[in-house]
Amino acid sequence: MNKEELIIETENLQKKYITDTVETTALAGVDLKIKKGEFVAIMGPSGCGKSTLLNILGMLDSPSSGAFRFLGQDISKATERQRAKLRKENLGFVFQSFNLIDELTVEENIALPLAYLGVSKADTEKKAREAMERMGIAHRRNHFPQQLSGGQQQRAAIARATVSNPSLILADEPTGNLDSVHGREVMSLLSELNEAGTTVVMVTHSPSDAEYAHRIVNLFDGQIVTENLNVRRHATELL
Amino acid sequence: MLQNYFKIALRNLIRNKVYSAINIAGLAIGVASCILIFLYIKDELSYESHFDKADRIVRLVGEIDSDAGHEQFALSAPALAPALVKDFPDVEHVTQLARAGKQTVWYKDKRFNEDDLIFADSSFFQVFNYEMLAGNPAEVLDEPNTVVLSEKMAQKYFNSPAEAVGEIFTFSNEPYQVTGVFRDAGHSHIKANAFISRSTLDARLDDETRNNQWFAMSRYTYVLLHGPEEFDAFQAKMDAFAARHVNPWIKENDLSGTMRFVVQPLRTIHFDTNYAADLSPAGNISYVYIFAAVAVFLLLIACINYMNLATARSAKRAKEVGLRKVVGADRSQIIRQFMGESVFITLIAVMLALALVQILIPTFNALTDKNFTSGFFLQWEFLAILLAIVVFVGIVAGSYPAFFLSGFKPADVLKSDKAPRGGSAILRRALVVLQFTISLIMIIGTIVVFSQMNFLKNRDLGFNKNQVMVIDIPRGDSTLVKGLPRIKQELLSNPNVEVVSNTNNIPAEGMSKLLMLMEKDGQQVEKTMNTMFVDYDFLDAMGIKLSRGRNYSRDFKTDEKSALIINEAAAKLMGWTNPIGKRIQVMDLDAKVIGVTKDFHTKSLHTEVEPLLMVLAPESDGYLLARVKPQDMAATVNFIENKWQAYDPKHPMDYFFMDEHFDEQYRAEEKMLTVFGYFAGLTILIACLGLFGLASFTAEQRTKEIGIRKVLGSSTGSIVLLLSKDFALLVMLSIILASPVAWYGMNKWLQDFAFRVPLSWWIFAAAGCSAMLIALLTVSLQAMKAAMLDPVNAIRTQ
Repeated sequence: MNKEELIIETENLQKKYITDTVETTALAGVDLKIKKGEFVAIMGPSGCGKSTLLNILGMLDSPSSGAFRFLGQDISKATERQRAKLRKENLGFVFQSFNLIDELTVEENIALPLAYLGVSKADTEKKAREAMERMGIAHRRNHFPQQLSGGQQQRAAIARATVSNPSLILADEPTGNLDSVHGREVMSLLSELNEAGTTVVMVTHSPSDAEYAHRIVNLFDGQIVTENLNVRRHATELL
Repeated sequence: MLQNYFKIALRNLIRNKVYSAINIAGLAIGVASCILIFLYIKDELSYESHFDKADRIVRLVGEIDSDAGHEQFALSAPALAPALVKDFPDVEHVTQLARAGKQTVWYKDKRFNEDDLIFADSSFFQVFNYEMLAGNPAEVLDEPNTVVLSEKMAQKYFNSPAEAVGEIFTFSNEPYQVTGVFRDAGHSHIKANAFISRSTLDARLDDETRNNQWFAMSRYTYVLLHGPEEFDAFQAKMDAFAARHVNPWIKENDLSGTMRFVVQPLRTIHFDTNYAADLSPAGNISYVYIFAAVAVFLLLIACINYMNLATARSAKRAKEVGLRKVVGADRSQIIRQFMGESVFITLIAVMLALALVQILIPTFNALTDKNFTSGFFLQWEFLAILLAIVVFVGIVAGSYPAFFLSGFKPADVLKSDKAPRGGSAILRRALVVLQFTISLIMIIGTIVVFSQMNFLKNRDLGFNKNQVMVIDIPRGDSTLVKGLPRIKQELLSNPNVEVVSNTNNIPAEGMSKLLMLMEKDGQQVEKTMNTMFVDYDFLDAMGIKLSRGRNYSRDFKTDEKSALIINEAAAKLMGWTNPIGKRIQVMDLDAKVIGVTKDFHTKSLHTEVEPLLMVLAPESDGYLLARVKPQDMAATVNFIENKWQAYDPKHPMDYFFMDEHFDEQYRAEEKMLTVFGYFAGLTILIACLGLFGLASFTAEQRTKEIGIRKVLGSSTGSIVLLLSKDFALLVMLSIILASPVAWYGMNKWLQDFAFRVPLSWWIFAAAGCSAMLIALLTVSLQAMKAAMLDPVNAIRTQ
């Protein structure tokens, strides 16, 4: 694998949680390499460390030990401010529970990342509108999150994740709170984004969602147990 | 981004109406109180500030140390002014005032009794630059028999100030020409309706008094120096001056003691309570401090509400914080956002406070006897204070929530099953305890203050202040004095008039002290003592009881020349176990004590009863006392009015009632303390608002617990108890903390009174119980709501 193409590289990544009496190991030495443009699904039973791994990859949490390089840059020692900068410039997040801000309208939610990037007002409006149109929720722009269906909320969340054109999207059970129809819709959207060049890393329980990925990483007790290429997806692409 | 913060803040406010209302109402009440207190304090501190040279003017006050003790007078002798001019040629101006008191003023067919008339000389307006509406300040008082009127007084007689100039007024049968009108603006210890040319008064002085009589203290002496830096040096010069002129004179005249002149800066006069016989009663600086503290407390309590509610509610904002961090906000941006939010809320509260102040100003004016208008809204000083309040409250209230909320880790808060706890419960509890401690101190303070005021009004004064009508007898009119026996008889013809008496003085008026020789171990020693001139019926009219000897009697022809009555305090001062027959020489009397009265109060209960000599002088002018029966009061008063007006048609009649007059002494204090009481009420209100919010938050947070308890069979009552118990403990802790502090503070306040209520335990118990009751009512309302929820809903909400 060519190093230039790597967006994420971890070596012996460990994460331990220490409470008053118990020490819990969430990640016990994860070595993972993800190339630019890849769509990777992380699977495994509850408590295997999927979300912890995703949070570390998303720079929302820091590892206890081990190396983590993002686009070749060592992140494990980065300050909160540096990580905030990397996040806003490169990453988009999609959550199971959507996590839209209740007090902001759909459009304002989507425009939020641009505000932290210091994008001009006119550009913000344009980009937010494009993102909404892409996700088919432009007609709901002035609604508040509670006024939308789950599927619409998740589309708004994806619009927000992609509005700043990030190179990596991290999705944590993006269909977990949706019915199957809306779930499929969301997966197609993520797939389209990936096809357009965005790297996607997704944590999921659902084998059918994992079908959309190029590669499936199986975690168990904080370690990668298997890594499978998704033959069908690769086959389609080869055709 | 700012717009985004603003939107979020506004929408949060609208969405959480109760929470917003508590915060904004609390802050608004706090800020409004602060503004009102600021106005009050600024007003109290503004004395003399309108005089351009206020910082360069000093007053010379007299201090005498003798056998009679240490005495301090605002007054000094007429001889001081010429001596100062001679000894200190570099002093810019020396000017003296003398009280002319109350006089009947005639102008054509108009007659008024005018109070606050002051004798002054031409240099007065050079030192105190009053704005003149008519006349040239440099020369208005140059000529004898001239007078300068205040704008207020001029308006009573004339249509315009210019019209007044040149007109002739008659005071005490002497004509005075109006030479000017001054504007009476700003606060000063010099309260004058008119300044009368002093030369008439000076002309009456004998040479000794004019040049050398240092104990003839009848003047207020002001000196204009070049600046405050000279004050200390001038004090040293005045000490040398006293050593040079005054103390040798005391020795030469075989008088005892030493005298000193103290340099008193003009700006300090209003709050200086040390000097007797001042031109106007001194203010009390401790009330300024108390009010300033109350303002800070009120704001602090409102800030604590904000902090507590914001952190308690933080779980609700956690997701937002997490998300903002996910999309790239760093901590400092989040801190700024929340600080901004609190500043924004403070701004809203300040707007509301301004509206509140606007509404409350008339009431506040009535309460404080001040005359504030909303004109101050535009003064830079006020705007600066307002800005300071916004910044202070915004930062104090906003900082803790901001630092706390910005510390959330997105990975923790964005998982829906892991809501963070609402901040440190211990800190929140500590803040509630602080709030209630402050509130309790104020409640205890209020109870003590009001019971003391009540005590002052109802205490036995040693005389019966009720049912005594007091008529002013214009002074210096000999025909009036001569006819007193006749008018007294006429008044007594009404069966509802019990006793009539005339005296030169009454309680609650300044007593004059006389120098006398009193018998001590076979020798005559010098003493100065309060002295009143009374007639045969004074003790009866006042209801004063004798503890020894007898009252003056018309049956003893010698009483007028050789008998004196003293009070118990005087007997005690002299150490007389049997005062009857002791010798006292005063003025031209050489007399023996024939009676001792029980002590009675001639001053407010701030002070002990002072030694007093009552000299028999049946022709005293000053006051006519009529003790009347309670039946048909209106008719009796009407009868007396008619009789007196027929008797003295020359002067407008002035009368009042002894009880009101005596209680008048506490009026300023009472007003102030009433205001304090209101503010104490407000602190409790704001603290309870916060408690209400906090209780609703706790109930909300524990909804699941409540549900589970109910499923397991708990009753509504026991759940209310469960939720209230915590708060009850906090209030209990506050009582324990507040009691000693309040005890210390109130004990100190009570020291100001010679006669005071004891700080009994019930005051603390009552304050504690009422705070507990209010707090529990507030909390149980919320607890009840939570406890009555269906358990299914309760469990589901989590």
